[in-house]
Amino acid sequence: MPIITVYINGQKILTESGVTILEVCKANNIPMLTLCHLKGLHDIGACRLCLVEIEGVNRLLSGCTTQVADNMIIRTDTDRIKRYQRITVELFFAERNHVCAVCVANGNCELQQAGYAVGLDHIRYPFLYPECNVDTSHPWFVMDHNRCIMCTRCVRVCTQVEGAGNWGVMNRGHDVRIISDFNTPWGESITCTDCGKCVHACPTGAIWPKAVAQGQLTKYPEMIGELVEKRKLLQ
Amino acid sequence: MNRQELTVMADQAKTKHHHFSKKVCVCCGTSCMASNAEKVLEQVQQNIDALGLKDEVEANLTGCMGLCNQGPLVKVLPDHTIYQKVEPEEVGDLLKAQFVDKQPKKDKLLFADTRPEPFVNANEDPFFKKQHKIILKNCGVINPEDIEEYIAYDGYKAFDKALNSMLPEDVIAEIKHSRLRGRGGAGYPTGMKWETVYKYVNNQKYVVCNGDEGDPGAFMNRSVLEGNPHSVLEGMMIAGYAVGASKGYAYIRGEYRLAIKRFETALKQAKKLGLLGKNILGSNFSFDVEVRIGAGAFVCGEETALIASIEGKRGTPSPRPPYPAECGLWGKPTLINNVETYANIAPIILNGGEWFSETGTAKSAGTKVFALAGKIKYSGLIEVPMGTSLREIVFDIGGGIPGDGEFKAAQTGGPSGGCIPEQHLDVGMDYESLMSLGSIMGSGGLIVMDKSSDMVDVARFFMEFCMDESCGKCAPCRVGTRMMHDLLQRIVDGKGTQHDVDRLQELAVYVKEASLCGLGGSAPNPLLSTLRHFPEEYANRLVSPEVLIHQHLEL
Repeated sequence: MPIITVYINGQKILTESGVTILEVCKANNIPMLTLCHLKGLHDIGACRLCLVEIEGVNRLLSGCTTQVADNMIIRTDTDRIKRYQRITVELFFAERNHVCAVCVANGNCELQQAGYAVGLDHIRYPFLYPECNVDTSHPWFVMDHNRCIMCTRCVRVCTQVEGAGNWGVMNRGHDVRIISDFNTPWGESITCTDCGKCVHACPTGAIWPKAVAQGQLTKYPEMIGELVEKRKLLQ
Repeated sequence: MNRQELTVMADQAKTKHHHFSKKVCVCCGTSCMASNAEKVLEQVQQNIDALGLKDEVEANLTGCMGLCNQGPLVKVLPDHTIYQKVEPEEVGDLLKAQFVDKQPKKDKLLFADTRPEPFVNANEDPFFKKQHKIILKNCGVINPEDIEEYIAYDGYKAFDKALNSMLPEDVIAEIKHSRLRGRGGAGYPTGMKWETVYKYVNNQKYVVCNGDEGDPGAFMNRSVLEGNPHSVLEGMMIAGYAVGASKGYAYIRGEYRLAIKRFETALKQAKKLGLLGKNILGSNFSFDVEVRIGAGAFVCGEETALIASIEGKRGTPSPRPPYPAECGLWGKPTLINNVETYANIAPIILNGGEWFSETGTAKSAGTKVFALAGKIKYSGLIEVPMGTSLREIVFDIGGGIPGDGEFKAAQTGGPSGGCIPEQHLDVGMDYESLMSLGSIMGSGGLIVMDKSSDMVDVARFFMEFCMDESCGKCAPCRVGTRMMHDLLQRIVDGKGTQHDVDRLQELAVYVKEASLCGLGGSAPNPLLSTLRHFPEEYANRLVSPEVLIHQHLEL
């Protein structure tokens, strides 16, 4: 891959081409907020936290899906982007029923960390309090839709890494829900292999093992990326 | 079929139709069909036989003539006499008066109930006089279910010309020269799009036709597909030749059953004649088209979602870049254009880009089809040159507001567009002018509102539409549209405060800029444009927080 020059927040960076803005930022210790991105999975640009401004482009683009080009001038730290990141995190919290105090992921939650990162002290929008199910039908794991942020990391890891395709998405708009098979209880799934990758991929406390108490959840999402790399070596 | 056979067929079809001195067209678009047009057609055919006019007058079903609320419509050519609201039992008298007594029945003429002096030649009526038809030229004239008649009207002549006397580069140059812009709404230069797809080297490319028209109140694409499906198909074939694609998909929304039926008939007929398939007209160009039926999701009109839907996946958009021109259907370079864009192609190839660019404005060439609806005297389907003023459309063509109502605003572009107030009635309808007013051209929906319309409720209605139709993939659109809807509902209910308006304003800009696709990117437009042009309607609705607390305590 040829080496190209990009400028991120005024910093001149040499990088190989064919990589995303997010990858360049990570390699150069430039902070970039993400929620739907998980190394090893195909990026979809859904959470919009990694939005960047690019000179000459009149739209904001997601850093996880946009590849760098030679002499691209990128900004990740403008007031507008910071403001939008805060609104996005606020909307995530207002959308469903996130109660950190009773959550297994408290202290180890990517949404919570994003809240700290944008300096969230209160939420300015009315909470929607939707009615959400908690699916405890699986013998080992729980799916709590109250804590789901629709990043679809579970859907992607199940399809792209495990190859089982148990998880899917149903409905539209604010009614979207993650479903197991054709919206049947997870415990009755005929496709789920009980591998537990979705538990690790989930950024919040939406999917968790039953044998965990409040604030005790430990996840290892990096495992997914490592798994993908290891499989490449075996091929 | 080879080239010669096509010419022979065209000549034969022409002779066949020239044999008749008169033609009776019965509009069989969805709307007229719903008011018994098929029975009318049956009666027309029977009565022509009964009057012994079989050798002079031919009768045909046709596509939309444009005046959907006056149907069923019967048009007599070459006199251009249109009869409105024709009941099957009236047909006998009507035809007798027209052809035997040579005295058209005045009380059944178009607009006989609303104009003091209805016109015998409908082309002189202001509704038609200001129109300029390129796309709809043969819509309402030819039988959409008969390929021979399309060929008689110079059909597939443009395709033959492109295939046999032009290189793909020439076709693209001609389209570029015409300055045609995408009619789906965004107005991207069509020639440039074609060139981009052409330049990507790949042994498999696709051409996709977007017929997922989802804006409430819009029926332009439906009418073109129903009234002249071959023109869309021919456009797709020329596009396939120009960009180097061998396969096309027409994505038509499932509710358009008649459009799907007629387009599929067109495909069958074209295949039978060898106009689709391998080595078309003796060349080495092969092309085939398949229909894909949409399942009713508005978001599937967004190109990347549409592509996902064709692939059999959940219809959700994906981030661009990469654009479909580079990585589209099944990862291959894909050209995706709107129905109306394709319908413009054959006339451009036949008459030249120069001819096309003479109509319209400097930046927006050609004509645009609008679906005129709402509080307007004569609603329907119209085609006007780009740049025609809104005033001309509403008052000259549409006949103004019915009763003693007063014009308040016109909504263009559906849920992605905005409202244009009275003081901007003289705006020319072209991409840039509408954009500068905070609205968009969109696919051509035009809803007229009178003083009785509540603009805050209009904004709420369109926000509700976007909220329901958001695919739910990206956070700004999924949650943002819901938040904005709830805040607007609060204002409509008389419980909104200035604080809510401030939050709305902030959210609107955020959703517009941060959303993944065009649905979220344009969902705040009705809200922003009503806030901009009708701020007093919001202000009048607001209450102070103190009042709100009092109300709350009393309850």
